[in-house]
Amino acid sequence: MALEWLHPVLIAAVLVLAAIGAVRRVNLWRQGQKEPVDIVGGLLAMPGRYMKDLHDVVERDKYMSKTHVATGGGFVLSMVLIVLVHGLGVDSKLLGWALLASLAMMFTGAVFVYLRRRNPPSRLSKGPWMRLPKSLLSFAGAFFILTLPLAGVLPEGTGGWLLTLVLTVLVIYGLSEMLLGMTWGGPMKHAFAGALHLAFHRRPERFGGGRSTGLKPIDLGQPVLGVQKPSDFKWNQLLGFDACVQCGRCEAVCPAFAAGQPLNPKKLIQDMVVGFAGGTDSHYAGSPYPGIDIGSASGGPHQPITEGLVTPDTLWSCTTCRACVEECPMMIEHVDAIVDMRRFMTLEKGSTPGKGAEVLENLIATDNPNGFAPASRSNWAADQNLNLMSEVKEAEVLFWVSDGAFDMRSQRIIRAFVKLLKAANVDVAILGNEEQDSGDLARRLGDDATFQQLARNNIATLSQYRFKKIVTTDPHAYHCLKNEYGDFGGNYEVFHHTTYLNELVQQDRLKFDQFQGGKVTYHDPCYLGRYNGEYEAPRELLRSLGIEIAEMERSGFRSRCCGGGGGAPVTDIPGEQRIADMRMEDVIATDAELVAVGCQQCTAMLEGVVEPRPEVKDISEILIDVLIEEVH
Amino acid sequence: MTTVAHRRDPRTEWIIRNRLHPQHEALFASQNGPVRGPTGLIRKNPHNVGFIGPNGLKRIDRLEGNSSNVISINRQVRQVIEPEKPLHKVEQPDFHILVVPDLAGGRLTEQDKDVLGQAHTLANVEGSKGAVVAVIFGEHRETGLDQAGVDRLIHLEGSDYEDYCPELKLAALATIEQQLSPKHWLFPDSIHGGADLGSRLAATLGERPAVQAWQVNNQQATCRAASDSIDINRETPKILLLAEECADAVDETRHEVLPVTVDELIGTQTTLTDHGFMAVDPNSIPLAEAEFILAAGNGVSNWDLFHEAAEQLGATEGASRVAVDNGHMPRFRQVGATGTWVTASVYLAVGISGAIQHMQGIGQCQTVIAINTDANCDMVKRANLSVIGDSEEVLKELLLLIKEYREALSHAA
Amino acid sequence: MQPDLKLVSLLSTGRHPKSGRACRANQDSRALELAMKTSSQVTAVHAGNPDNNVLRQYAGMGLKKIAVLDLPETADPTQSLKHYLDEQSPDIVLTGVRAEDGESSGMLPYLLSEKLGWAMVPRIAEIQSIENGKAKVLQALPRGQRRLIEVDLPFIASVDNSAAEPRQSAFGPASRATIETISTEIFTDEALAGWQLSAARKRPKRLKIAKAKTAADRFKAATAKSQSKGGTLIKDKPASEQAKAIFDLLVTESVIKQP
Repeated sequence: MALEWLHPVLIAAVLVLAAIGAVRRVNLWRQGQKEPVDIVGGLLAMPGRYMKDLHDVVERDKYMSKTHVATGGGFVLSMVLIVLVHGLGVDSKLLGWALLASLAMMFTGAVFVYLRRRNPPSRLSKGPWMRLPKSLLSFAGAFFILTLPLAGVLPEGTGGWLLTLVLTVLVIYGLSEMLLGMTWGGPMKHAFAGALHLAFHRRPERFGGGRSTGLKPIDLGQPVLGVQKPSDFKWNQLLGFDACVQCGRCEAVCPAFAAGQPLNPKKLIQDMVVGFAGGTDSHYAGSPYPGIDIGSASGGPHQPITEGLVTPDTLWSCTTCRACVEECPMMIEHVDAIVDMRRFMTLEKGSTPGKGAEVLENLIATDNPNGFAPASRSNWAADQNLNLMSEVKEAEVLFWVSDGAFDMRSQRIIRAFVKLLKAANVDVAILGNEEQDSGDLARRLGDDATFQQLARNNIATLSQYRFKKIVTTDPHAYHCLKNEYGDFGGNYEVFHHTTYLNELVQQDRLKFDQFQGGKVTYHDPCYLGRYNGEYEAPRELLRSLGIEIAEMERSGFRSRCCGGGGGAPVTDIPGEQRIADMRMEDVIATDAELVAVGCQQCTAMLEGVVEPRPEVKDISEILIDVLIEEVH
Repeated sequence: MTTVAHRRDPRTEWIIRNRLHPQHEALFASQNGPVRGPTGLIRKNPHNVGFIGPNGLKRIDRLEGNSSNVISINRQVRQVIEPEKPLHKVEQPDFHILVVPDLAGGRLTEQDKDVLGQAHTLANVEGSKGAVVAVIFGEHRETGLDQAGVDRLIHLEGSDYEDYCPELKLAALATIEQQLSPKHWLFPDSIHGGADLGSRLAATLGERPAVQAWQVNNQQATCRAASDSIDINRETPKILLLAEECADAVDETRHEVLPVTVDELIGTQTTLTDHGFMAVDPNSIPLAEAEFILAAGNGVSNWDLFHEAAEQLGATEGASRVAVDNGHMPRFRQVGATGTWVTASVYLAVGISGAIQHMQGIGQCQTVIAINTDANCDMVKRANLSVIGDSEEVLKELLLLIKEYREALSHAA
Repeated sequence: MQPDLKLVSLLSTGRHPKSGRACRANQDSRALELAMKTSSQVTAVHAGNPDNNVLRQYAGMGLKKIAVLDLPETADPTQSLKHYLDEQSPDIVLTGVRAEDGESSGMLPYLLSEKLGWAMVPRIAEIQSIENGKAKVLQALPRGQRRLIEVDLPFIASVDNSAAEPRQSAFGPASRATIETISTEIFTDEALAGWQLSAARKRPKRLKIAKAKTAADRFKAATAKSQSKGGTLIKDKPASEQAKAIFDLLVTESVIKQP
């Protein structure tokens, strides 16, 4: 083959250019705020994180996971061998054959990528991503042919000028897509940024089967609170945005997107990239925010995000259900980013929409979002004969009632649960009027100041008493107490009531009749399921009543939000339909007559759907109906 | 009714025997006049007292017709003549208590009457007697000043007082102060102008008024303060701004309403000019304050018609939660426990069946009108007037009626 | 917006109706909102304790600075405020109608107006325009009605509950605003010493007084069931007739206004 010198030079040149691009890219991320990371440890952990955690998420789509293993694995192996064989000219038949094998693997993967891209689902971004199968095929194909002589399959110098020329063009095309695109911003950028993102992830606890869902507190003494400009994000958050592969899995599960509210998690992450890299979103080739055209957004690293890049409504549409985070193969933290930007809107601009401002003011003045008199918090318990912590000082179980105490509907749930506790002879006490809102709503609305205040107050109250565990019927309070109070020195053993009741049933402390009734389905509350991984206990409880759960298509970690989280009912961003209605359609699709829920917010949202519809009941209400009360 | 029957009337006798006959009671009473016993004393027949009640039991009315609502079997409407109340006269008052009522809408408000009642408790001092003097500005339509307790009346007439003119009124009050040097000045502490005028007078006279006073006698005044959270007990000052229901209104006596003339008022420099009422778009009135609300629910299908009806009726628009959730109405229009609690005097609910939260929210409405297809829904049960039918047709007819009404009015004018 | 206009907004400590905690006063924050909407030269003044945390809540509405006349609780602020306003010579002074804490007599604007010789407009909802030394303001009347009043500058106005809602108080600006303490002569409120303060007693709700001469009548009046007569129901009638019934009721209730 002619021009033996050409390909090594080409490879070297592309590698150098890629390295320059990489430095540039890294500098873009470094515009973000400092955040200490374990660099060596992170890099060492990276392959493991890729193989295990990332692959587990990708594996949910078997087709794509196999394709990616073949293409990605093939490419990484090929690239190493290409540098050795073609770049450095190591003359080894064995290496040649190995390279051929890996290129063949990559080629096969690329064929499947091609097949996928022939008729792509709407969640996938088009644009440059549509050429990716072609570049993959050219890269694998061209190097395959180039390697044939080295492996001794074809004699040296096969092919004429024409073939060389064609191959060279394909090599340049393939190399630039694969290497330059990686660092200068093509579809392959995800490989470079994604790998580093895995290494320097802001929540390393998520890897290796762990869970990290609590929001990070902010230092209230900072000159600017929350994220105003892209450069206000931590540097590794910016890195995370860059890792996005635009697969649109987040978009497919986002309840706000489905409801026609102006939010698309994928577009949001892409807009963040536009923000810190500067420019406009005109190159974006995926689904827009519902109701907002593409091309009008522009931003820069030091320009306020909500002035031109993202509308505030987009940020306020999120229900913080974490479905996007759960689905993201690149482990991007959408919710963190959204709440960071909300913090600026609330704490600096004072522009929480809808009833947000009123709710926050109520939380400050009355410790509950609806402005009820704090002294009336324990009115519901007047006839319950419950111990007050302030009187008994010590109990095995502290029942965290949460703000449902003020709401007549939620009181039914609370009373049912208390009855169950009494039936099981549990040593239980409540805080009564000393309890305050957990701060969940304030925090999701971006008011970390109020959250921290409420958290500190509650922790101070709790520190006066001795108890073994906290049990609550409210998954939102559960999440705060369990995962977010730790940052302020409140570490407790917290249980959701379904978990605790399940334990009581296992210990034979509660006995139930068989459930007599129609079909039952179960709705997983986001803050119980995705936030805390509790999918089984409520189901076990239902099964213990002889209920065969008619699962919804979206259940478990894929459960669809009821629309009640993240302050969404408070900010009330208009869409085409209501999230609760969509969820009720999911319920109706199972033919269930009853939907079991483990959250008073979900109960309220689902019961807000216009009748006729299946009945909505908290699990404790279902249990109380079939409780066998023993006479003591 | 005491005519003696000269001839036997078998029918009457039968009726008198038949205790269940509707006319039995009346005839029985008329025929059984006083019976004199052998000693000449009036004898009462104990069997003749009472009457048979509607359920067949004998009832004895010991009030002997003195009850204000006499139970009459034959349901004759008897006119109850109110006895004329005694006239309360103050010939030579030792001091004056001045009351400046709001006369909102030209009539004494309930609060005005209570303030006048309070004035009389202050006028009643042992050993001396005060007169209650009312100061009234401009035209009014009140006919019951005597019943309300006005001993003396200072009526300052003139079109100047029709507008908002606190400075003119203040000047008048200052003149009266000089002339009568009253013991107390009493104002209703209200948004109808009483609080404003009272505060102005207090500032001018350099007096510290008792404000939101709700329990006042000649020595002590108790005032609400700090958002109704504390009571201030203090010596009763000269100027009092009295809260609602501060005292019972006068109702046992009549009063003279003797006119008192005031010295010529000197022209005052005014800094405020009243440019009259503004035309207020009903939809810009906060829902909680609106007087007339036209509210839409799930049963409304023609929204253009609904909005037109609201505009023509001059009503503020409201909505049920469902109508808001479905995006037909903005969230701030939602009526109910989860939306706005309304106080409208007329609430016209179109196609709202009445969820409990909604019914809670309209609890304070005086008159509720429902247009609904379901005669059994909660809204119809609550409504003072319900119309069962297609809301679209009814609204269309209503629009026609309004148009006719307006045209008739403009012709008449 | 009249950027060259000098406004002073007087701020007091509010009292939350449900919890009784100190917070922004409703009317004062509406007054501040109105001031900030009217002009960019707004001075916010509080007479009282400079360490009062509630001031931060007002500052969170976007104030860089709050001036505080350092006065003890027993002081009468009118004199001090009068001196302060004399120095500042603003065009408009805005206050709430009635304080939510303390005596809450609502006298302050009247006393200042008397002392300064300025006009006083009570219960305004909006400042419509300011031209040639005269301002047109909308006074709030019951049931959402408005009266247009023209008033000479400078003037004092108290702001009604129906003025525009105050903007949200944001934590960041609130914590960064400066509280400027102004020491001033203290005039003690002498009258205060003679008063007894106590927690508000419950006021008996006035019952419908049964004017009855006899015990039996009073008994009857007290025990009689409330007259729930149930409404009129019009069914199966033509729509025109039904509409007429509604219309007649609307006319009787006199809610149909002339155009």
